[in-house]
Amino acid sequence: MIEWLEPLQIPIIRNSLIGLMLAGGMFSLLGVVVISLNLTGLRFTLMHVGLLGAAVGISLGISPTTGAFILIIIISGLLGTIGDRLQLSVNSLSGLFMTGSLAVAFLILARSGVPAMEVFGIFAGSILFLTTVDLVVIASLGLLILSVFFFGFREIQLTLVDKDLAKSLGVPVGLIHLIIFLLLGSAVAFALKLVGALLVDSVLLLPAMAALPLTSGLKSALFLTSLFGMLSSTSGFLLALRFDLPVGASVAVSGTGILLLSLLVQRRNRK
Amino acid sequence: MRVNAVELKDIHAGYGFEVLKGLTLSIPSGSLFGIFGPNGAGKSTLLKVIGGLLVPDSGHLFVLERKVSSEADRYWLKRNIGYLAQIQSTNQLPITVEDTVLLGRWGRFFYGMKRPNMTDYLRVEETLALVGMVEFRKRDWRSLSGGQRQRVALARALVRDPHILLMDEPTTYLDQKAQDELIELITRLQSQLQITSIVVTHQLQSGWQFSQSWQINHGLISRCCVD
Repeated sequence: MIEWLEPLQIPIIRNSLIGLMLAGGMFSLLGVVVISLNLTGLRFTLMHVGLLGAAVGISLGISPTTGAFILIIIISGLLGTIGDRLQLSVNSLSGLFMTGSLAVAFLILARSGVPAMEVFGIFAGSILFLTTVDLVVIASLGLLILSVFFFGFREIQLTLVDKDLAKSLGVPVGLIHLIIFLLLGSAVAFALKLVGALLVDSVLLLPAMAALPLTSGLKSALFLTSLFGMLSSTSGFLLALRFDLPVGASVAVSGTGILLLSLLVQRRNRK
Repeated sequence: MRVNAVELKDIHAGYGFEVLKGLTLSIPSGSLFGIFGPNGAGKSTLLKVIGGLLVPDSGHLFVLERKVSSEADRYWLKRNIGYLAQIQSTNQLPITVEDTVLLGRWGRFFYGMKRPNMTDYLRVEETLALVGMVEFRKRDWRSLSGGQRQRVALARALVRDPHILLMDEPTTYLDQKAQDELIELITRLQSQLQITSIVVTHQLQSGWQFSQSWQINHGLISRCCVD
């Protein structure tokens, strides 16, 4: 075996690669929805909510990651439910939750004596601590995302094309939004653990950003997004192994490289 | 005798505040019916009530001689209505023209696990031919001009074989040439297909050949003088 690939024989390293490949291939599909519905601000909000969750978690004596995970799921469900009812855009609500979460997190840090660095640790990710249970959960979530796209393909497509038209035809737009937000919240929470908050976009957004301009239909966009996601996570991980680099940053570099290539292809196609 | 496709009797409706204030109106079957009014007059609210998207606070709605009062009635209504809105320009989703039009058949001919079949695709092709866009069927919708997008949206509304076609400011944001072409196309297809068609618009444009035109203002409607 090639020397620099030998660490893959260690179970935790192998788990990390499998986790990243699963997330890159399946979580990235949600990026197509995020971009199409102009929800790019939402994942940023969910990261801040994760910070609050981590602060609450530590002050309650549970792990920061668990705290972040629980609060992210709750807030994403809330955002998916109340936006339409309050006739407020998700981006307005996102702003509210982002600022609010950050403010409350700092208040908790100040009052409870929780060490700030411990909370901000969730921003760094901890891919090398993935357990087999984590892998099963990531695979299950990925399969759930695939199933939602498979069974609700036309309904999702209609919602993304024109929400008002979808409503006029009787599509359960509210339910679809709620499901998508919950899946997105779960994906952000796991991506936090995989690559850290600052690099969540490398798993969730970059593959879709690279794929969307190159395709002319939703099916091909989903396929290409998944392919780019898997490619960037695998190549990023191998890059990290080869040159002894941080995994999250290497995945982000790979994703950025694929996006740049996509831009070049778009530019060539336009000529 | 010509029956009414839509009848509204003393409809009050709004969003916590009253927009339609006791509106009574009959729309004859097979007509091209125009409703004008300034922004905020209640045009879109009226279309939402007719389309089953907004439940009136009081009053009665009859569509194709069926009283629409329950959730089941509104579900039935949505299956029988085609909807053409203002041009959409912000959508970033890649989707072929064929797929865009196919979505118009959702809820009536396929949904959930019932997938589109050959008939659905044939109807899409026929309807695209009606609006003069059949050669664009494999193109990405995002690459179309504003006028072409509205033709595709019209095909999407027609492909579900609606009994009633609702159009909310269909020519807004189009250049003059595209506006004229779209008005001519809608008028021609309405005459050919005899679908009851209701157009709401904020300004009266030349080119429309309405069977009746009405004016709405402050939630009240009156017959317009330009028929």
